[in-house]
Amino acid sequence: MAVSVGGSSGSGRKKSLDAELNLVSFIDLLSMCICFLLMTAVWLEVGSLQVKQSHGTQAAAPKGQAHEVELSMQNSTALDWVIKKNGRLVEKQQLKAASIEELSQNLAQAMGAFVTAHSGDPATISSAMITTSSAVSYGDLIRVMDALRRNQIVNIGVVPANRDSAVAGVRAFRGGA
Amino acid sequence: MNLKSQNLGDRSFSRHLVARQYQRKKRARILIAGLMLTSMVDMFSLLVIFLLQNFSASPELAVVAKGVTLPISATSRELKDAPVLAISRAGIFLDQKFIGSAEELLDRPEPLMKRLSQLREIWQRSHPQQEFPGEISLQADQSVSSAVVSRFMGMLPSQAFGSIQLAVVGAGGGKG
Repeated sequence: MAVSVGGSSGSGRKKSLDAELNLVSFIDLLSMCICFLLMTAVWLEVGSLQVKQSHGTQAAAPKGQAHEVELSMQNSTALDWVIKKNGRLVEKQQLKAASIEELSQNLAQAMGAFVTAHSGDPATISSAMITTSSAVSYGDLIRVMDALRRNQIVNIGVVPANRDSAVAGVRAFRGGA
Repeated sequence: MNLKSQNLGDRSFSRHLVARQYQRKKRARILIAGLMLTSMVDMFSLLVIFLLQNFSASPELAVVAKGVTLPISATSRELKDAPVLAISRAGIFLDQKFIGSAEELLDRPEPLMKRLSQLREIWQRSHPQQEFPGEISLQADQSVSSAVVSRFMGMLPSQAFGSIQLAVVGAGGGKG
């Protein structure tokens, strides 16, 4: 970068020590940087939640000693959850709340309490299956999945709804437009 | 200085006042025109630093379909490159191509199955030595019934698309 030292005209004069930066080229460079970064910026970061759906003919993965959770959402404020181990019932609870935020928070706490209570036993919950109804929105389903993933349950599946329930859901979605 | 009345003209004092006012105005105009370059460079530098921090070198993999508001998730992961199935009010789209309305496809899913099968065949032809990963990205509006989404999710494994990525927006709005 060019730096000019002022006051050099007089031969016998003392040179000024005030250095002056050439700001014009500096501003040009910064403007170009800002334009490039603004044009290439990604403002909405799209992420993903992984769901494994198995086909009817595919063999089930070996379950070992881990527990499985079955969640049944009736609506956005109530759900039943059942914990099984090797097909045998271990725990069953019903959760109710005033809102989906509260419900997902209660679910995360209940899962955490189960793992803590069975800390001696290898109480890892390996997988979860979620059954929903047409009254539950997709956004609320994601919130419940979030609560499960916060408790290290990453192998999540969703039970496909029946045709009538899905058609009712489509009509409700169109009606809300 | 000794000023004598004969030296002063008829309107010399008023002219002097006008000249002084003009000079003052001129000086003021010069002051307004001058830019504060130091603070401007400071501001530019801060902007560049902020934008560089938010800069993502990875390309945008998913174009969010029109009319789809993705749900927010706090535990989202990076989205992988995969075909995109979008469920919106306007209908069902696969890789931004209209397949049909949701109601039609729930009754007769053949067009969707056919298109998925084609996508799988294309992938297998281009990757002959590799196993098909079966990854698909699903975009749905957050207000759509989960029954609709789960029904379509249930259809996908029949065409070997068993690894479904539900597209969400990271909770921070930034890095997910």
